[in-house]
Amino acid sequence: MGGDNNKRKRSESEGGGGEEPPPEKKMEILPSMIKNKEKRSAVHAKLKQQKKLEKRKKAKARDAAEKRALELGEEPPAKKIPKTIENTREVDETICKPDDEELFAGNDADEFSSILKREMNPKILITTCRFHSSRGPEFIKELLSVIPNATYYKRGTYDLKKIVEYANKKDFTSLIVVHTNRREPDALLIIGLPSGPTAHFKLSKLVLRKDIKNHGNPTSHEPELVLNNFTTRLGHRIGRYIFEEKEAKQIESKGKKTKDANGESGPKGKVIARLQECGPRFTLKLISLQHGTFDTKGGEYEWVHKPEMDTSRRRFFFVTVEESLLHGKKYISPDHCSSFKTNFVMFDSDDL
Amino acid sequence: MPRTTTLECPGCPPLRALTFDELGLIKVIEARGKQGRAEPKLVERWGDLDSSKGVLAASLDDRKSDPFLDGAERCCLSSDCSPLIHVPSEVHWLLAVARRNGTIEVLNPLNGDLRFSVTNSSNNGVQPEDDPVAGLHLLARKNLELASRSFTLLTCTTKGSASIRSFELTKPAADVTSTGYSRTWSVGAGGNILCSKVDGSENYFLLGGKHVEMNVWDLDSCAKIWTAKPPPKNTLGIFTPTWFTSATFLSRDDHRKFVAGTNSHEVRLYDISAQRRPVISFEFRETAIKSVAEDLNGYTIYVGNGSGDLASFDIRTGKLLGCFLGKCSGSIRSIARHPDYPVIASCGLDSYLRLWNVKTWQLLSAVYMKQPLSNVLFYSNFADEEAEVVNPPANRLLHGEHIAAERDEDETPPVKRKKSKEKKGNKKEAKAKSGNNEACEEDGGKKLKSKKSSKRLKREDVDELS
Repeated sequence: MGGDNNKRKRSESEGGGGEEPPPEKKMEILPSMIKNKEKRSAVHAKLKQQKKLEKRKKAKARDAAEKRALELGEEPPAKKIPKTIENTREVDETICKPDDEELFAGNDADEFSSILKREMNPKILITTCRFHSSRGPEFIKELLSVIPNATYYKRGTYDLKKIVEYANKKDFTSLIVVHTNRREPDALLIIGLPSGPTAHFKLSKLVLRKDIKNHGNPTSHEPELVLNNFTTRLGHRIGRYIFEEKEAKQIESKGKKTKDANGESGPKGKVIARLQECGPRFTLKLISLQHGTFDTKGGEYEWVHKPEMDTSRRRFFFVTVEESLLHGKKYISPDHCSSFKTNFVMFDSDDL
Repeated sequence: MPRTTTLECPGCPPLRALTFDELGLIKVIEARGKQGRAEPKLVERWGDLDSSKGVLAASLDDRKSDPFLDGAERCCLSSDCSPLIHVPSEVHWLLAVARRNGTIEVLNPLNGDLRFSVTNSSNNGVQPEDDPVAGLHLLARKNLELASRSFTLLTCTTKGSASIRSFELTKPAADVTSTGYSRTWSVGAGGNILCSKVDGSENYFLLGGKHVEMNVWDLDSCAKIWTAKPPPKNTLGIFTPTWFTSATFLSRDDHRKFVAGTNSHEVRLYDISAQRRPVISFEFRETAIKSVAEDLNGYTIYVGNGSGDLASFDIRTGKLLGCFLGKCSGSIRSIARHPDYPVIASCGLDSYLRLWNVKTWQLLSAVYMKQPLSNVLFYSNFADEEAEVVNPPANRLLHGEHIAAERDEDETPPVKRKKSKEKKGNKKEAKAKSGNNEACEEDGGKKLKSKKSSKRLKREDVDELS
């Protein structure tokens, strides 16, 4: 009780102090400032209700304005664009510009240009960590069905550096190591061969084919990749490396969805192509990009994620994409963006 | 509410730096403007885009002293290049660049004109791509004794063939002839040489690499004078293989002490006069040390590693003085210390040139350079004085005086360095040290006075002219 009295006194004295400067009185009481839980929740509920009503009113007014504009034959009022962390993203000077000659020269000089120019066929070796079970092998099975020219080798007890040497000898162009922890694939290591970079990804949200509703089955077509939003320099490099190397791309233009579908079903005439998801769906988050092949001890990193970089939610090192597989052709559409993550969804189209 | 804007960098003192990248481009970065508030910008780009011409090593020779040895003719350079650098009409400054395809180009560091290029002699039929240049040094003082228009190149390849060649500039911007002095010798012992350094007096040559212990060569006789000994096996009986990735002399005029960084993330201090094993050895983070640079004071060193961490150490104790934090994410390939300002530049695979304040460990500025960088160098005589640009002929002589004053400044650091060395020494020398300190202060006072007097002189000159 004594404490209560004290509090009251304090609040009184504060109130008394508040009378002198007028702006302090105007300050509204936030629910979070109320200490009594019942009162706080009551105030909060009231506020919430108010906000809801206001929102409804606004929406009604907006709809009415639109309707009126339609009736009068005028231009409807412009739709407002919501603020997202993506469109309020921090300015990034590393974003590639289409007229940057240095970028193209760099592209020509990098490790993957011979594959991207189709001078070389990509050949991929997939292996695992030392112990793997359960979802790991299934995931690899699905990867093998989606990625052309990929072979699986048992890991055995070989050192990764030895495997790199072996793969180099056998003319593989890249090596994928699926790392499993607690019977769940949790990391992906993609090593470019013979000298290319090593990317280490954290793998999460893995959904296998059988768990996807209405999934399709991959066909023997070469997949086509659509890469969107790999705009920063790092994203560009990753995009060139990981995806385009794995599956040599064929065409890259917008609106090819219908074009391809038409091409395949030429005699039937007009067909509507729909996408059907077929492959494993997962999210990749880049942990590090290493210069040269796998070498954790003396390696040189091109990019490492450090906790000190995460000071803002609006900074993206590269942007989320969704990858899809349309009748053996892959699509990546920019969907929900989150920081330096890559979402893979592999789609397959309806059988026509 | 998260912060949506990036932290503003405070800007840096007026300076001019060169960066070299893997596409063979040379970029000039300049910061000019108000004292301490300048924003560094990319001002020039030299070279064409060709990955076979990627820069492996570079060396800049822009001594302040030399242009004034021949005395008479001095003027500002043409307006297209930086008018803020005062050079003699017979430009003697040179920039040597070793490229991936085995050529070594000598450029004019003011406008990027190619003075001359030479292929690295690989007479044993080795392709230059297989045996790239690991170290390149333009020897400045060597040629003072020779004709004033010659220069000497010291190169060292990864497989271990070192060569000294001197050339003569027959005409400015014309062809170059070899003076005939050339010497090639083998320095590698079955390993790969990764780092090399020449000391301030240019008599000693430091080498090290993968499976090559640090060794010191006498450049006059081309003989090995010292080799390091690997540290003993650890308590588990495991021997870490030798793999040096970077090295630097502790101070410019002492060839006996040097610092080396290893692939096993160790930094080691060697003292030739003391022992063959490292005097001090300490570890820094988890990835390989990729670059090491010394400060002017002779005991601070800057260490950069493969995952983009940069820190300064006091080499006398091996203690970490401070880390440079600035969201640096790529391997640091090169660190350069500004000769006058307390500024260091670091660059590397994340294609940013970052400028740091040495005293506050603050990031001054980060410039995005679009390409993974391999090297950074500072111009030592870039002064931001627009007044002098306006009427260059009026203060022709004054530049001399001004730069002479600067030279005085330059001469002071060795005194400080001595001081630092003596700190390590016994107490008897402490008295001498204090004496030195006083001398140093006196020097400083003189320096200030000389600056003032030069300014005064300038004004008088202008008055006379007007």
